[in-house]
Amino acid sequence: MSQLTYGNINDKVVNSLEPPGKSWMISMAVFLAVLGMGAFALVVQIRHGLEWSGINHPIAWGVYITNFVFWIEIGHGGTLVSAVLFLTRARFRNSICRASEAMTVFAVMTAGLFPLIHMGRTWLFYWLIPYPNQRELWVNFKSPLIWDVFAIATYLSVSMVFFVLGLLPDLAAAGDESKGLKRFFYRIAALRFRGTNHQWLHYVRGYVLFAAVATALIFSVASIVSWDFAVSSLPGWHTTIFGPYFLAGAIFSGCAMLMAIVIPLRRVFPGFEELIKIDDLESLAKLLLFTSLIVTYVYAVEFFMAYYSGAPFERAIYWFRAFGESNLLFWLVVTCNAVVPIALWFKKVRRNIPALFIISLVILVGMWLERFVIVISSTAHGFSPFAWANYHFEWAEIWITLGSFGWFFMWIFIMVKMVPFIAAAEMKERLTPPFRIRK
Amino acid sequence: MRKNFSGTWATFEYLDDMCAAIGELKSGGFTRITTHAPCPRHEIDHALGNPQSRVPFFTLAGGLLGFGAAVLIITQMAFDWVLPVSGKPILSVPNMVLIAFVFAILTAVYFTIGGISLLILRDTLKHPVPQSSRYRDYDRFMRDRFGIVVPCENNQLETVENILKKHRAEEVHLEN
Repeated sequence: MSQLTYGNINDKVVNSLEPPGKSWMISMAVFLAVLGMGAFALVVQIRHGLEWSGINHPIAWGVYITNFVFWIEIGHGGTLVSAVLFLTRARFRNSICRASEAMTVFAVMTAGLFPLIHMGRTWLFYWLIPYPNQRELWVNFKSPLIWDVFAIATYLSVSMVFFVLGLLPDLAAAGDESKGLKRFFYRIAALRFRGTNHQWLHYVRGYVLFAAVATALIFSVASIVSWDFAVSSLPGWHTTIFGPYFLAGAIFSGCAMLMAIVIPLRRVFPGFEELIKIDDLESLAKLLLFTSLIVTYVYAVEFFMAYYSGAPFERAIYWFRAFGESNLLFWLVVTCNAVVPIALWFKKVRRNIPALFIISLVILVGMWLERFVIVISSTAHGFSPFAWANYHFEWAEIWITLGSFGWFFMWIFIMVKMVPFIAAAEMKERLTPPFRIRK
Repeated sequence: MRKNFSGTWATFEYLDDMCAAIGELKSGGFTRITTHAPCPRHEIDHALGNPQSRVPFFTLAGGLLGFGAAVLIITQMAFDWVLPVSGKPILSVPNMVLIAFVFAILTAVYFTIGGISLLILRDTLKHPVPQSSRYRDYDRFMRDRFGIVVPCENNQLETVENILKKHRAEEVHLEN
């Protein structure tokens, strides 16, 4: 393994921007096919209405809201790595921050689609925005759905700006390392960034501030998403623990998705193995373990509070989750999110790449199911026993869900080939700079 | 039309050489220095006298403006079309704070971007750099080389060149 230098970091990063090979093309074809099926299912659903999803009385929130929460929280995990770990000066972040920023942007883009899909009449989405109108009828700011509109729009906007800002030095480097048209376009995209002291001074200060406001933003957005549930009066949803619960879950699933993205990247681009070190992955695995413990604690607290409150409806819903018709899903959640991550206590597992990849996929499945159990169980098993029901999946929502993964990974694959997917400038900051007199 | 640049620029392989050159140039009265580096380095900031950025003021201004604007907008809308829902207040402060907080962040971010752009533009105009293709096409500043640009009068070119060479500049180019 060669020693990393400023120069060879550039080489390794720029090499990943070479025209795509066969494996990229095949993967992209698969993602586009899945996305195409998802789009077809969406068109069918728009044509025929929400009867093509499993949403029905009394379960008014189904897979789409589950997907919304799942994807928005994948985004939060990305922001944690790119912003919070930047503020805490965690060195392992440098190699994976670009992937996490990209993941945030595309996850939030994906999440933003689901409330619109869930609405049924998607084309009326603009009713959620307070636009001037003849009747001077404004949106109801007391509705959590309106909070979502503002929170997600802001989160998407901030994530995109954060991503683009971080790219500037690397686009400049890619421009310098390229020839012909590529050089021309990268230099335009870099907005004349050339690493002058004036540019670095304001850039770095701005980046710190971005990280600070993005940190405040993920706390608020995670809380707002959790309040979609918590401000209702349904048992199982109406609880004050939902804010921190959703935040911990967000970081947990976000780190798992990040792991699932960077491990294949490391494999596909040989130079990346030296940049994304096994130590970095181990640190990410420790973060997974830590957040798994928080999530496990919250599972236990929820059950304890249901018991300790003495409220019959609250007790009933938690009994239903663990021992009702859908209990298999609940126990799968516990297995994936609380039991499987226990393996990460062992250093050997934390440094075993295939094991990390499999664990991260298991966690992702667990976290999707967790949101599904939360969303479905409280509406399926409400106050009135005559209105109890079970959720039945329909093909359209299954394909729309799979299509969202196709959509997300399509963007990731496009970006891998278009922009430096490892932050070269930040990697250089990790190195001891070239000194004539060794310090 | 920008005035033709007169001065010197040099490249360095080692960071400590460049920092030493900056120190000597500053003590020689050459203060309008522009440096290049592949990544931000505190050593350069220390050599340049720890300049401070005013970007945080833009962020603060954006945050306050966004918060204030959101409060005004929500208040106006709440009273413009009254939505009475059981005993709930027409204008709910906790809900307003939620939206205002998020809106404050949004405007703070855009003000920060504006601040970064404006301040870089101002500093770039105050610190001229060569317009020659040799300087523009030098493609190792973002790779592995450090650089200094020193604007000076024609009669000072030799002094600057000597200082740069003394500190083992890899290349020194005179522009006039």
